[in-house]
Amino acid sequence: MTFLKLFFLAFVSLSAGSLASAGVFTVLVSVGLIPRFAGKTHTSKKIFLFEEMVVAGTIIGGLVSVFAPFCMIGEKILDAGWIPQQVWQAAGSLMIAIYGIFAGMFVGCLALAIAEMLDSIPILARRIGFRHGIGAAILGMAVGKLLGSLYYFYAGIN
Amino acid sequence: MSNVTVYLMAERNTEVQSEDVFLKDVASVRCADSQIEAKVKSIKIHKFHSGQDKKCVISVLKIISLIEERCPGVTVDSLGEPELLVEIVNVNKHKGWQQGLKIALVSLVSFFGTAFTIMAYHNDIGIRDVFAELYLIVMGTESDGFTVLEVFYSIGLALGIIVFFNHIGGRRITKDPTPIEVAMRNYEEDVDKALIATADREGKTIDVS
Repeated sequence: MTFLKLFFLAFVSLSAGSLASAGVFTVLVSVGLIPRFAGKTHTSKKIFLFEEMVVAGTIIGGLVSVFAPFCMIGEKILDAGWIPQQVWQAAGSLMIAIYGIFAGMFVGCLALAIAEMLDSIPILARRIGFRHGIGAAILGMAVGKLLGSLYYFYAGIN
Repeated sequence: MSNVTVYLMAERNTEVQSEDVFLKDVASVRCADSQIEAKVKSIKIHKFHSGQDKKCVISVLKIISLIEERCPGVTVDSLGEPELLVEIVNVNKHKGWQQGLKIALVSLVSFFGTAFTIMAYHNDIGIRDVFAELYLIVMGTESDGFTVLEVFYSIGLALGIIVFFNHIGGRRITKDPTPIEVAMRNYEEDVDKALIATADREGKTIDVS
């Protein structure tokens, strides 16, 4: 009986995993973020590599977040005592900073790309009838996002 | 000269490396008379000057008028695009450390960005709580956070992505283009259309009149 229950759970979670990934990636592909990165940097020949990175990033991110209690690398390293605490703190900060800046760039692009799927910027520009100053509007959005994000973390809004 | 037909099939987007653009660079030409075909192919349709725009949009009417000028009496039948985007690329543009840096940047953004996206998604739906509850419902005992559910979910996640993107470790599973390759081609097509439309609107298209 236990085996049957375990089999049932395995079946449910296998389906859940494959559909969750399909759903997440449908959004990512329909937004067309990676082609835009590749187009902007003239690196469309390497599109295959970028897809590999997308696949690797999702698998590793998924593993880390599902098994978070078992992925406490920092704690283990500190417990083992190979590296002095200050050195590990500095190295860890650097790693987190790298993760933060690239994840931030991606989310920033994703947010504006999703907004653009609804053609919000072209419609706004047409409605209020301005021809110049799209650049200023985009800069305003970026600064707004920066300040809003900093305020969110500073004030601890939940 | 007898009345022969020149069939012209122009490409929408061409990248050239030399400053002089000849007709054979931007279009396929077919003519029953091979002499006329060679003559038409070697018509110079544009010259890029250094320091000026790296792109230009040429109307096929301009090309037809050039052909008529060079070979009077031929009939031109255009089967391709009505407007052509020609871009001059530096030969070294696809090499060098700058290119490597850009590739590394896009790779890192793709990797960490998607890792963050899936982690945020799992956090959003509270996946560990959902799994703990499901485990309790089915098994009747408390979950320790590392059960068959988590393991098979992760396998399913990996499987879904690999089937969806159709490749793993640099190897394609089937010969179909991957979704991002399709999206890339669509994006390039949209960019070409937008560039041609902009050139039309600004009156920069190289046209007959």
